[in-house]
Amino acid sequence: MDGLIKAINLLFGENPELRQIIAVTLRMSLISTSISSLVGIPLGALIGSREFKGKHWVQRFTNTLMGVPPVVAGLAVFLMLSRSGPLGSLKLLYSVTAMVIAQVVLITPIMTGLTATIISIPAPRIRETAQGVGISTWRQMGLMIYECRSQLVSTVLVGFGRAIAEVGAVQIVGGNVQYKTRVMTTAIMMQTNMGKFHFAISLGIVLLVISFGINALVNYLESRGNA
Amino acid sequence: MIVLKDVKKVYDERIVLNIPHLVFDLTKRYALIGVNGSGKTTLLRILAGILKPDLGEVTSTSTNNMGYMPQSPYAFRFSVEKNVAIALDKEQVSKDQVLEALKAVGMDHLQHAYGNQLSGGETQRMALARMIVKPRNLLLLDEPTASADIRGTSQIEKALLKYADDNNCTLILSTHSPAQALRLVDEVLFLDEGRVIEQGPAEDVLHHPKHPVIQEFLDHWKI
Ligand SMILES: Nc1ncnc2c1ncn2[C@@H]1O[C@H](COP(=O)(O)OP(=O)(O)OP(=O)(O)O)[C@@H](O)[C@H]1O
Ligand SMILES: [Mg+2]
Repeated sequence: MDGLIKAINLLFGENPELRQIIAVTLRMSLISTSISSLVGIPLGALIGSREFKGKHWVQRFTNTLMGVPPVVAGLAVFLMLSRSGPLGSLKLLYSVTAMVIAQVVLITPIMTGLTATIISIPAPRIRETAQGVGISTWRQMGLMIYECRSQLVSTVLVGFGRAIAEVGAVQIVGGNVQYKTRVMTTAIMMQTNMGKFHFAISLGIVLLVISFGINALVNYLESRGNA
Repeated sequence: MIVLKDVKKVYDERIVLNIPHLVFDLTKRYALIGVNGSGKTTLLRILAGILKPDLGEVTSTSTNNMGYMPQSPYAFRFSVEKNVAIALDKEQVSKDQVLEALKAVGMDHLQHAYGNQLSGGETQRMALARMIVKPRNLLLLDEPTASADIRGTSQIEKALLKYADDNNCTLILSTHSPAQALRLVDEVLFLDEGRVIEQGPAEDVLHHPKHPVIQEFLDHWKI
């Protein structure tokens, strides 16, 4: 109880580190979600909207990537970026950029897979109707994305939720460096280990509020989408 | 002219369309008649290029501007106006043209309604407006009046005939109404289990069928 009161004081006080952690977290999650959406939505629309040879395998591959444990993805990115790795010369390890890369690797398959599933439902009927009036394949895809817009916004929010709550991969490639790559989840882990519960609790509250907000938005969009 | 040669479509090892030889002369209008599952939609899809036959080929001359209306056309989640305008290229979209097409099918009062909120008959009319919003020389229509009421049906028929005359457009449509075939087309193709069992002038096929299957089918034709 004492921890909770301290946490609330901390939240409404002027703690530069707390604000900095929240800012880094939001920046990282926003950038990685944006990149993942820009790649994953068109890719998912491409997979979901058409029939092609090997589609089955592409879907399997995407589903496998969707289920990769974050620490494994983090390890892979770590090995790529480490000094002796293929991208070592870029010196990106322990930077926010590295964390964004790891998150893009994690979230893009999720965005792709979810988009493909969403688009594949109306796709055959849209294709038949659109092709019937001579609409090009690319414009058909645009129509499908537009038609599913509210569900796709929900998947973007799901992606953002994943990004903001993820801990394993960002810990590995970001290193939880104070004032630099420390984000809410890695800070909570560390502060809890150190017994500084009030700091951990206040970050936990912020995370909860954000997740709750995202969920509320998803629910709202879904109820509107069904109307 | 459209020519089908040795066209076969197979689903799950069942031949659902089997057409050794068939010619559509583009100066005539055609109706496809046949019971549920006889292959009307499959044939129209193949003509439209939506579906590839498993065997055989379709060759056509001077059908460069074709429109195909599916049996259950898709209504997009935006305005009826825009639903019709998708048939036009972005540069050529003209509000007047869209409104005129909607008027022809009696849908102008719903131009601002949402496409996905229309009734079945309204959706079909909107889809038809999408077909006739610009000049085409071939329309493939899968049961274009299946969801329309009797007044709507005659309105749609009138609009179709006017459009076909004005644009020199060939019609190939499927229908469950022999009376409609008599009103709209020159020739009837009667499909049975994926085969064209009789083809000829609408009057002949529907009033004096040679094939016993058609005779039996038409015995169910009542007022
Ligand atoms: N995608 C599909 N997979 C399997 N079978 C199919 C498929 N599409 C059509 N068929 C089968 O092909 C046959 C012909 O179907 P089609 O839709 O051409 O019939 P139709 O004459 O248009 O019938 P209706 O009057 O009910 O519209 C049917 O028996 C149907 O079950
Ligand atoms: Mg049909």
